[in-house]
Amino acid sequence: MNTVIGLISANYDTPGLGELSAERTVASMPFAGRYRLLDFPLSAMINAGITTVGLITPYKYRSIIDHVGAGKEWSLDRKHSGLFVLPGSVYGISAPDSRLLIKDLRSNAIFFHRSPAPYVLVSSSNLVANMDFREITETHRSEENDITLVFGREGFLECFMINRDLILKVLEWYKTVEYMDMLKVLEPNFAEMKVGRFEFTGYAHTIYSVQDYFNRSMDLLKSEVREQLFRSDRPIMTKIQDSAPSRYLSGSKVSNALIPAGCIIGGTVENSVIFRGNRIEPGAVVKNSIVMQGCSVAEGAVLENVIVDKGNVIEPGVSLRGTSEHPFVVGKTKDEYAR
Amino acid sequence: MSNRKECIAMILAGGQGSRLLALTKQIAKPAVSFGGKYRIIDFSLSNCANSGITTVGVLTQYRPYLLNNYIGNGASWDLDVSAGGVFILPPYATEAGGQWYAGTADAIYQNQDFIDGFDPEYVLILSGDHLYSMDYREMLRTHVEKGADLTISVMRVPMEEASRFGIMSVNEDGRIVRFAEKPAQPESNLASMGIYVFSAAVLKRVLKEDSKNTSSDHDFGKNVIPAMLAAGYGLYSYEFDGYWRDVGTIQTYYDTSMEFLAEEPPIDLSSKTAPIMSHENPDPAQFIGPQARLSNCVVANGAQVFGRAERSIIGSAAFVAEGAEVKDSILLPGCSVKHGARVLRTIVGEGAVVEAGASVGSLDGEITVYA
Repeated sequence: MNTVIGLISANYDTPGLGELSAERTVASMPFAGRYRLLDFPLSAMINAGITTVGLITPYKYRSIIDHVGAGKEWSLDRKHSGLFVLPGSVYGISAPDSRLLIKDLRSNAIFFHRSPAPYVLVSSSNLVANMDFREITETHRSEENDITLVFGREGFLECFMINRDLILKVLEWYKTVEYMDMLKVLEPNFAEMKVGRFEFTGYAHTIYSVQDYFNRSMDLLKSEVREQLFRSDRPIMTKIQDSAPSRYLSGSKVSNALIPAGCIIGGTVENSVIFRGNRIEPGAVVKNSIVMQGCSVAEGAVLENVIVDKGNVIEPGVSLRGTSEHPFVVGKTKDEYAR
Repeated sequence: MSNRKECIAMILAGGQGSRLLALTKQIAKPAVSFGGKYRIIDFSLSNCANSGITTVGVLTQYRPYLLNNYIGNGASWDLDVSAGGVFILPPYATEAGGQWYAGTADAIYQNQDFIDGFDPEYVLILSGDHLYSMDYREMLRTHVEKGADLTISVMRVPMEEASRFGIMSVNEDGRIVRFAEKPAQPESNLASMGIYVFSAAVLKRVLKEDSKNTSSDHDFGKNVIPAMLAAGYGLYSYEFDGYWRDVGTIQTYYDTSMEFLAEEPPIDLSSKTAPIMSHENPDPAQFIGPQARLSNCVVANGAQVFGRAERSIIGSAAFVAEGAEVKDSILLPGCSVKHGARVLRTIVGEGAVVEAGASVGSLDGEITVYA
């Protein structure tokens, strides 16, 4: 029997992402050229042998459901166990400080009642890391903890293991507090429980703001970060798109860049992260930037320290510059740059 | 519940493709890597899926492990459907003993039970080792309209190459009047593409007859088609004018691969209506290093390029180290070109390693295969 079930919380707001999260939740933020942030915790769960995963969806759930579907790419389209979509309440929209609303646990209580697994591994959906979750289970079990909190170098990673019984008790105890975060509610009582710590020393960062998003994306250009995130023994799985391999035309100048399949690169790309279906025309310059899927950058256009959201067309000669501290964001809706 | 299908496909995928030398030492020709991330059989499987044919038998024989593993349940081509799907059909034993597939026709004949199980009106027979994008529904429509017993897809080839193919002579209605397998003096340039639509009842009958003929090699082109013509069956041609390649030799494999370096590749691989699908590993995006120089290259996911590459195809998870140079070459998935190595006009096999400082191939003369 599998002793751990996974729970991914995606029902909270990240106002720091500004217009990047205007039409999507942080869980479905495109990341690293071909992934969504959610892919990281979800894949880590699968790689740790977890076969039951509950996904608490945000109120704006179109993009996340479009991405995970029935969980096929993560082998979660199963006869037994598999992916359980747990609808989150509307209150997540205005909940920037909580990750796991008691209300959302309560309305999906059957998920916790049904499972025979003693442990629940909870992860937020904006955690960029590739941890071996089995080590957390091992710590939790050997220390006989009620809760094991996962800490990284930047502090609490909003990832923890909790006994399933305890979740059910919380739902019993706190019948009247609905719109509060479960951990925050439990925190005053930590002294009466066995709360352990698991220190993760590898690459692990949470993304809350445009600046976080930009910096974490730029981290991907470092080989030591890529080696930690993209390991063949713990692959990050994602929705497959059948993109053709990318073509680099003669005259293209590409250096220090992460580029997925499905692109045509004719211009200059430096220190940048490009997404699927991009067309960087000859004579275009993209530096220190992130260009999300389905964009095109025309001849003579210059992007420097810019984040371009999906589907934008950067017209010939347009020059956009931010700084590495304040990258310029071309949102999905700003159509003065788009056709 | 009835499993009845209008048309099912049978893909012949048992051949070694011995003229591909080292590329097919461990795997069957349809499993050979192509275009950075594809395998050759992706094209026929995608064509089936894009033509709405969701019952597909794949006949394997030569070193089938990788092919079986690659095809799996067909999910990568959306062929994992409950009423149908992809079926791997290896040779099997019966109470009369077991035997290998003796030829293309025999392979189908031995799987008559499989075909009968779906009771189709038509059977589409394909080769798993051709590169093309085709909507089989149009061919099927022609077959039905002409009331044909067998329709053979043909294309015009240069007259000087015609003697390498099975050549048809047709009347003004498209009916095949003569067929010559690799004729020394071809009387037409309509070449068979090895794509057949049979009316299922006719197929069953002619295969049974062929099986009893002890002097037959049990091959469609060599035996079955000439016998059907002689017996007066209605054989029609269906002319295809798109891109089609049989990459039977290292030279044609190389030349065809290089055609996909063009800015407009001969097949729209990411077509919205007829995409070429493949079984993909979850590789990260490709990383192009700080000192890399890429010119006129196709690069697949998971590849890492730190050196120079020109006019080359860099396959999934291939690695080109800093200081390495790759020119006019094809790096198959998972291979590695180490620091300072030079790879010229070479096909580097899957997972092969070109050691640091080594020099492989030359820009003129024969294509090198390094596996």
